[in-house]
Amino acid sequence: MIYTQSGTAVEPSVVPVGGSAPAGVPAKRRPRRILVRLGALAALVAVWQLAAVTTRNPSFVPSPKAVWSQLILTSTTHDGVRGYSGHYLVEHLGISLRRILIGSVLGTAVGLILGVVMGTVPWIRVVTEPVVTFVRALPPLAYFSLLIIWFGIDETPKLWLLTIAALPPVAVATASAVYGAPIGLVEAARALGATRRDVIRDVVLPNALPEIFTGVRLAVGLAYSSVVAAETINGVPGIGGMVRDAQRYLQTDVVVLGLLAIGLSGLLIDAALRTAENRLIPWRGRS
Amino acid sequence: MPSNPDVVLAAVDVHEVEHVYGTGRDAVTALGPISLSVRPGSFVVLVGASGCGKSTLLRLIAGFERPTSGAVRVGGREPVPGAGAGVVFQQPRLFPWKTVGGNVDLALRYAGVPKPERPGRIGELLGRVGLHDVAGRRTWQISGGQQQRVAIARALAGDDDLLLLDEPFAALDALTRERLQEDLRQVTGETGRTCVFVTHSVDEAVFLGSRVVVLTHRPGRIALDLDVDLPRSGVGPDRLRALPEYAALRTVIGQEVREAAGGR
Ligand SMILES: Nc1ncnc2c1ncn2[C@@H]1O[C@H](COP(=O)(O)OP(=O)(O)O)[C@@H](O)[C@H]1O
Ligand SMILES: [Mg+2]
Repeated sequence: MIYTQSGTAVEPSVVPVGGSAPAGVPAKRRPRRILVRLGALAALVAVWQLAAVTTRNPSFVPSPKAVWSQLILTSTTHDGVRGYSGHYLVEHLGISLRRILIGSVLGTAVGLILGVVMGTVPWIRVVTEPVVTFVRALPPLAYFSLLIIWFGIDETPKLWLLTIAALPPVAVATASAVYGAPIGLVEAARALGATRRDVIRDVVLPNALPEIFTGVRLAVGLAYSSVVAAETINGVPGIGGMVRDAQRYLQTDVVVLGLLAIGLSGLLIDAALRTAENRLIPWRGRS
Repeated sequence: MPSNPDVVLAAVDVHEVEHVYGTGRDAVTALGPISLSVRPGSFVVLVGASGCGKSTLLRLIAGFERPTSGAVRVGGREPVPGAGAGVVFQQPRLFPWKTVGGNVDLALRYAGVPKPERPGRIGELLGRVGLHDVAGRRTWQISGGQQQRVAIARALAGDDDLLLLDEPFAALDALTRERLQEDLRQVTGETGRTCVFVTHSVDEAVFLGSRVVVLTHRPGRIALDLDVDLPRSGVGPDRLRALPEYAALRTVIGQEVREAAGGR
């Protein structure tokens, strides 16, 4: 169930670029999968060029070349204007990534603690599960209005939004993994003299780590797709704010550039998380 | 007959024990009533058909279950998991997030062995079960037989007087199984531990046990309780298996196991 939801939830942040290999490809075939992705990317650029040439309307479909020159323009100071809206593209992206990082870390930390408690204390699970599921079902924009009323329009509501978006998948994944700890291993630890705390630290948590990691990747994906929503209000600097401004002025090439920046950085971050996962959890799928 | 509890404090004392799983209409009497007293240093093998309550009896002795009626005592006290007995299960149940050495290290830590002493003890314990140079390996990088050896080393880490083994070699191929049987006999002989070993293999029972207890089918009761007087020292495993007394015991116990299992 988490897996299907991960599929639909992560995709929006990853797909804009185009090529995306099916989920669940074994780690050994990762280099090949990256190749496939690059190939799909190249094909997309070709199709894109063709579309730009045939439509002949840069406001509708800007050519790859136009987007490329926007990349140069937004990354340099020209005619006394610094990048876009006074910030370079990397600065817009950096600010957004910083927000994603803070939201993901906070959401993961709280989700982890909540998940462990939910997985070990049955009545807390009964009480909190519907709440978590409810929040999870809400689109981030739905509660963003409330956060604006409570926290104003600056940084605070944005970080709250990302934290709230990132928290449920980690909490749910952790709770189910902790709850489903294998009795055989728990008994083995107890037979060796483990206390209750030992069992949680040495068996339950390590056993849950693969699922927790899946939850974290989901959380980062959700924070990623929420950051654009969070930056619809007072979002500059920020990649979402940049895209929104560009849309207002029909600067389609900047919009596409922003999408590419979001999608590509999303791919890189997901790849980094997968690498970390394989390093940190060599026993994944072995137990 | 076996031990007299008045003379020596029994290592394990099972008194009028009955065990029922579930309640009401779902209730299943898995075991008993059964009484059994295990003398310190002896190697008791429980044999019986599958489902007769062997694991249940072992779990009662390990402290994982409380008897529905009757009493279980280990070293004179009510058993608690992790205190007083090492346990080896049918599956190795190694922690895959730990290396082989890490698994033994964890057991030593739970046993209260201070950190500086542990590396030496890990090598010593693994060596005792015939493993060398595997401490750094991942648990899935060693064979099933080696994994079970690690499980035995881990169970020995606590230095408890009692070792409980529940069909530990049932999942292994015949060759590996014989090797491990021989090594287990040597290890327990050297360390003077009391063993309660569960199996459904008659051959394994005769080879390992200084005493063989045959259980009836469910609910398991004692069908036969036999001291095995085979020469234990100075005789190699192949010589031992070739002895006429060995074959005779196999026949007697085999018959009893088949009869005890009823028409199953
Ligand atoms: N946790 C349990 N709940 C209900 N019935 C059980 C449970 N464990 C074992 N039993 C039943 O008790 C009987 C004895 O089981 P067990 O001790 O595992 O037998 P053995 O180890 O000799 O094969 C079996 O009929 C089994 O189905
Ligand atoms: Mg059994």
